[in-house]
Amino acid sequence: MRYAIIGSSAAGISAVEAIRSKDKEAAITVISDEKTPLYSRCLISYLLAGTIDKDKIWIRPDNFFKKNKVEAILGVRAEKIDTESKEVRLENREKIRFDRLLIATGSSPKLEDIPGKDKKRVFPLRTLGHAVEIQSVLDKVKSVAVLGGGLIGLRAAYALKSRGKDVSVFVRSPQILSQIIDKESAGIMQRHIEKKGIKIFTGRSAKEIKGKDSVEGLVLDNGSNIDCQLVVVGKGVSPNIETAKEAGIKTNWGIVVDQFLKTSDDNIFAAGDVSESYDIALEEKTINAIWPVACEQGRAAGLNMSGENQVYDGTLAMNSIEFFGLPVISIGITRPKKDIYKEIVRKNLDKNVYKKIVLRDNIIVGAVFVNAIEQIGVIGALIKNKVNIKDAEDIVLEDYFDYGKIVNIIKDSKGAFKQKEFTETIMTA
Amino acid sequence: MKKIYCDIKKCLGCGSCEIACAVEHSRSKTLDIAIKEELLPIKRRKAQFIDKGRAISTGCHHCEDAACVTACMSAAMYKDKKTGQTMHDADKCIGCWMCIMSCPFGALTRERQEKVIVKCDLCPDRDVLALPAGRPACVEACHTKALFLGTLEEFKVRT
Amino acid sequence: MSKPTGNSINDGLLKIASEKNIQTIWDRFHLQEPHCGFGTLGLCCKICNLGPCRIDPFGEGAQKGACGADADIIASRNLARNAAGGAACHSDHCRDLAVTLLELGRGKAKDYSIKDPAKLRKLAVEFGIKIENKNDLKIAEELGEAILKEFGQQEGELALIKRAPKKQVDTWRKLNVVPRGIDIEVVQAMSRTHIGCDSEYRHIIELAMKTSLADGWGGSMIATDLSDILFGSPQPVRAEVNLGVLKDDEVNVLVHGHEPTLSDIIVSASQDKEIIELAKKAGAKGINLSGICCTAAEVLMRHGIPMAGTFLQQELAIITGAVEAMVVDIQCVMPSLSEVAQSFHTKLISTSPKARFKGMEHIEFNEKDALLIAKKILKIAIENYKNRDRSKVNIPKEKMTLVAGFTMENIFYNLGGSFRKSYRPLNDAIISGRIRGVAGVVGCDNPKNQSGMCHADMVKHLIKNDVLVVQTGCSAGACAKAGLLTPESAFRFAGDGLKEICETVGIPPVLHTGSCVDNTRILTACCEMVKEGGIGNSIDELPVAGAAPEWMSEKAIAIGWYFVASGIFVVIGTPLRVLGSKTVADYICNDIEPVVGGKWAFEGDPIKAAELMIAHIDKKREALKLKPLMSNEAISYGAKRT
Repeated sequence: MRYAIIGSSAAGISAVEAIRSKDKEAAITVISDEKTPLYSRCLISYLLAGTIDKDKIWIRPDNFFKKNKVEAILGVRAEKIDTESKEVRLENREKIRFDRLLIATGSSPKLEDIPGKDKKRVFPLRTLGHAVEIQSVLDKVKSVAVLGGGLIGLRAAYALKSRGKDVSVFVRSPQILSQIIDKESAGIMQRHIEKKGIKIFTGRSAKEIKGKDSVEGLVLDNGSNIDCQLVVVGKGVSPNIETAKEAGIKTNWGIVVDQFLKTSDDNIFAAGDVSESYDIALEEKTINAIWPVACEQGRAAGLNMSGENQVYDGTLAMNSIEFFGLPVISIGITRPKKDIYKEIVRKNLDKNVYKKIVLRDNIIVGAVFVNAIEQIGVIGALIKNKVNIKDAEDIVLEDYFDYGKIVNIIKDSKGAFKQKEFTETIMTA
Repeated sequence: MKKIYCDIKKCLGCGSCEIACAVEHSRSKTLDIAIKEELLPIKRRKAQFIDKGRAISTGCHHCEDAACVTACMSAAMYKDKKTGQTMHDADKCIGCWMCIMSCPFGALTRERQEKVIVKCDLCPDRDVLALPAGRPACVEACHTKALFLGTLEEFKVRT
Repeated sequence: MSKPTGNSINDGLLKIASEKNIQTIWDRFHLQEPHCGFGTLGLCCKICNLGPCRIDPFGEGAQKGACGADADIIASRNLARNAAGGAACHSDHCRDLAVTLLELGRGKAKDYSIKDPAKLRKLAVEFGIKIENKNDLKIAEELGEAILKEFGQQEGELALIKRAPKKQVDTWRKLNVVPRGIDIEVVQAMSRTHIGCDSEYRHIIELAMKTSLADGWGGSMIATDLSDILFGSPQPVRAEVNLGVLKDDEVNVLVHGHEPTLSDIIVSASQDKEIIELAKKAGAKGINLSGICCTAAEVLMRHGIPMAGTFLQQELAIITGAVEAMVVDIQCVMPSLSEVAQSFHTKLISTSPKARFKGMEHIEFNEKDALLIAKKILKIAIENYKNRDRSKVNIPKEKMTLVAGFTMENIFYNLGGSFRKSYRPLNDAIISGRIRGVAGVVGCDNPKNQSGMCHADMVKHLIKNDVLVVQTGCSAGACAKAGLLTPESAFRFAGDGLKEICETVGIPPVLHTGSCVDNTRILTACCEMVKEGGIGNSIDELPVAGAAPEWMSEKAIAIGWYFVASGIFVVIGTPLRVLGSKTVADYICNDIEPVVGGKWAFEGDPIKAAELMIAHIDKKREALKLKPLMSNEAISYGAKRT
């Protein structure tokens, strides 16, 4: 059996480990366009902020590929997948044969089509390379403009503020973190971030990036001008589906996979940011481009590629962010658009505490917790296992809510909570 | 694997495990002094109310397929291959709270000064997994012997 | 299984206990470990049924009880209730003595008599009774009534408050902590600590002090005087201590508990010819009476009856297999005794209407039939002699001699000799620097602190540094076992200055002044020292300190509080259960000193605790501008610190 994996981030690495746990000898080839894989993509903003050193971003040891007997082709792009001959063609014309292929090509930052975007000191923040590049120009920078108020944009803003820069964030939508959390929690976060000195302009976008060679300023959509020497574009990501699409694999927003992470081609799997799979809360297929999902899917795909029949229950959107000591965590649906959803909110704005759950037919499908985050994982368990919480509805947002309060729910659910540790805890209940 | 189990039938919710845990994870390991330490020790176990007259003392369950390990983006959380214990390397932890987000037991706590997670570490100073008579502080403190260190099989035999 | 107690006599008997699977206090103590942290820190409130509520000492969890009480309120309230428990015990003990005096006065308690008429008259005068042309019994009746009235008194001040120096009384009046009566203060300690009542920690601490003062200057102080009146004022007496006092060939009878009303009569009954004859008929050489706990102290002080053991040794006494009967009344009697006795022939007899114990025969005591009851009990013991199983007898060899029987009054004689009856010599010895000061080392023994060993270590360190030590209760017992209560110990352990005084006067450097109610002898001695002059105009100015290195009972809390409130620095081995409230702990260990003159300190290491006491005494000496200590070897802790 010959395995090929395109991509060497969370999903790719997890797949390698899963395959090796089942098949000690088979040939595994990993192809990555990044020269330095094995780092945590999520940590690059921390690196940029100076919170951590570069030696902390590695999530696997140097000898990972060697130890796992993996042929690693790094810094080379996979250009074409031939499903008939079961070959991946690389940009250097080399061909890699496979019996099973995993596409874990991830996603790329959306670069806005804005005049001036090719000037020097305009960067996305997605790879280690980006972080290094931004760091290298920082001494020439006093003011930074961040385009986009999503996770990446705000993390970049936070990092550069930590580096002592004057940071302004321009967010086209009326709230920050609009893909992740609801308006009210976003407001709490925004006020907190602003208090710490980052300027945030919602409902505002840039029309043009000005400057000769390098960035010197922005023209905003209201016509006003601002000075800045660095622009970071953080406008979300889009899945890298082109090679798959060209190979005739079924794609939609991402590469469509089934509950075994298999694509429309029996020998080809997809995992991570590039895969479009069933979402537990939405009950439809979508992309959840987040680290834990990439790890889970990479592992499940790896196992299934090596002959297991592991059903992947589905993904769940989840994010955890903290700015200047104020954390927010969201799970599942946080901004319900239809009236089949019900929301319950508990808040104490003096303490920056905000808790919300979103329900559909007495089942929790989403949650946002600001500051008092410790027990949100228990809510996550209720979301994942889809139990009717009608009787417990009024306690899940209380300060005293914790695992003890769902012991009876788990017991009464008669096996809905499959993870064995749940069963162990209720054995004596 | 050996881990801590709580017999709900015996747990009185007294909180002795919490105090013992905090003291074990203090600098002084002495109650009188621990309560005065500059950085107050953090307990990794909580006696939780279930319903009338029933409680459970719970902390990290050292899950076999640990969601916190999967979610950890800095590889600070990992499984000890030998003991099966879910381990946490505070040096690698960057305080992203992804593990809090993922833990279905709500068993992780933030250490706000250092911005790292704290969780049940099975009392490393007591070497409980290596020593046959070794017991974690909470198990030792449990007045009704509701808390138990051992394998699932051993726990089943016992209850 | 048992932790070594550091006391060989205990170790031997504990080994037997362990072989026979008899649980002792050490086993049970370990089964209780670890102790609940909430309780230890004073953060558990069980007062009302909203709870029990607990405050998280690490700040994460609940910081208030359901009613809203915080750590300060909960810790101080618990403390006040403990003090009330202790005050109630001592005062109830006093009440029984007052009833005995009254019955005697009324001619109904014929087995008793007035043994110290002078003291009777002195106390009667203090209670405002006209004594002219009245006989002892009449005075006894009136004094008995007056004392019982003081228990129920609702306003005014306790009679014996007048004994205190002016400054103390002024302080108490200013704080409104002068007890009005005895019972009312215990009742109020309960009522004011009910849910939703007193909720200001300082005010609650004042309550604890007021209740305790009702004990120190009321219940306990009167109890001591009444015991002296009824059973005789002690005189120095040589006796023996430790379980080695039990005899292989005599009927061993142990008296255990606290009140001397019955035990003192048992002493007389044991010397009765008829009883001794009976014992001989049963094959024994006689009756060997000895005591445990404070009852031991009472009969030791007055009759030289040997002390078989302290609180911790009560079970071990039975395990010797040589005890025919153990007679108990109240306080510090372990409910486990009957279980221990199941393995031996020992008859356990409870006697107080206030306390019954499962598995004990109850022969209820009353004043009218005291001698009859005493004889009945001794006959049961004699009858039981034949059941002693020689194969089970293990009387330890260890015993020690001691001198006991020192009182506030007879210290006059001992220090001044019969021609100079005054505190002058003591005060002069302090002023001249021969004696550094005086320390009271008292209280229980406790498996938590080395089971009695703290007392001896602390006392040795104190006398080495020329501090004269006065003792009561089990603490005195522990030091007696270590041989510190003999005049000879001055040569072995005392500093040069103290040694010189002990040698001249012929007293031990450590003076046994009685049972735990007799701690008031120390209070009155302090008053006498103030009165004599030259070493301070109030108790808080005296170069003195107190300690209870192994305290365990609520009584110890009441005692500690009445000493602190009377201006004395008190060091205890394990902290009061208030550490969960930093505010309360800081207040009673520091900020209270300018308020009442005394304060608490918590120090588990007996040597360090002794050093705290010495430093305090030195501080007081310095304030009084007293001469430096004469003894070269004595270290000046005050000077060392600066």
